[in-house]
Amino acid sequence: MHLPAMLALSICVLAPAAHAGPRLDYTLNCMGCHGVDGLGAPPEIPQLKDRMGYYLDVDGGRAYLVQVPGARQSALTDAALAGVLNWMLDQFAGASKPAHLDAYSADEVSRLRATPPNDIAAVRRDLERAIVALHPRGYSD
Amino acid sequence: MSLFDRFVTQRTRTVARATGRRHFLARLGATLAGTSALPLLPVARAATTESPRAPQPQEQGDPLSCDYWRYCALDGLLCSCCGGSANSCPPGTEPGPVTWIGTCKNPVDGKDYVISYNDCCGKTACGRCNCNRNEGDRPVYMPAKSNDINWCHGTANNLYHCSTSVVLGLAVE
Repeated sequence: MHLPAMLALSICVLAPAAHAGPRLDYTLNCMGCHGVDGLGAPPEIPQLKDRMGYYLDVDGGRAYLVQVPGARQSALTDAALAGVLNWMLDQFAGASKPAHLDAYSADEVSRLRATPPNDIAAVRRDLERAIVALHPRGYSD
Repeated sequence: MSLFDRFVTQRTRTVARATGRRHFLARLGATLAGTSALPLLPVARAATTESPRAPQPQEQGDPLSCDYWRYCALDGLLCSCCGGSANSCPPGTEPGPVTWIGTCKNPVDGKDYVISYNDCCGKTACGRCNCNRNEGDRPVYMPAKSNDINWCHGTANNLYHCSTSVVLGLAVE
């Protein structure tokens, strides 16, 4: 079955280890699609490297990183997902890393996971537009 | 029939009975392709250790057999039977950058290892060594956990040829 649209919003997830830190959580739950270097496979799978941090610059972007189905529907606990997102921002944000970065907490992740938007694809489109307006040269997908 | 003819016929029949063409061709293909010399798939650089290449575990068993420990969640065709290997794609195919990742227990040391099942893409299905194992697989209504989906994305075309099983490292932090 070929599901490019679904994959654009999903992250390849498998068999979480019983006890793991953020690097292994990323490997088992995210890396299959987003890649070891965060390059993804555009256009179906977005590039995280030098891009991911831009989401924190626009309204709704911080929530989106938790609510995107690959993150939200992963088998990770709220605390583990917060750990992975913080790790990913540290590893991949690169040129897009904001000057001030508030780490995700388990509570924040829990709250955001419980209130997903109805149309995540529309949210993403709007966010991308906002990001491009802010960083015209630094962002292209 | 002359003695010579009888001898040759006898020998030919013996060889045909005793050897498997598939096995021989698979081995020959792998040797000719020099798969041990081909660079590892990019995902193999993702080690759970600091070193650029994950230390490979001690292994036992036959990579041409579906029972091989690495194939615990492989649902597809074995690249080792198709001119590639468990670590590399056959010539003329491209490793998919998008992959299905799981863990398998290595019988040699009893430890769990992270396995990346990159598909090799670009040619029609190899048609040899079908293997259908599904540890950790979930039905397709959970697409991110389903190994039935064609994972040939981000390649020149999405024709599925075979699957590899690259060991990324121990499944520990």
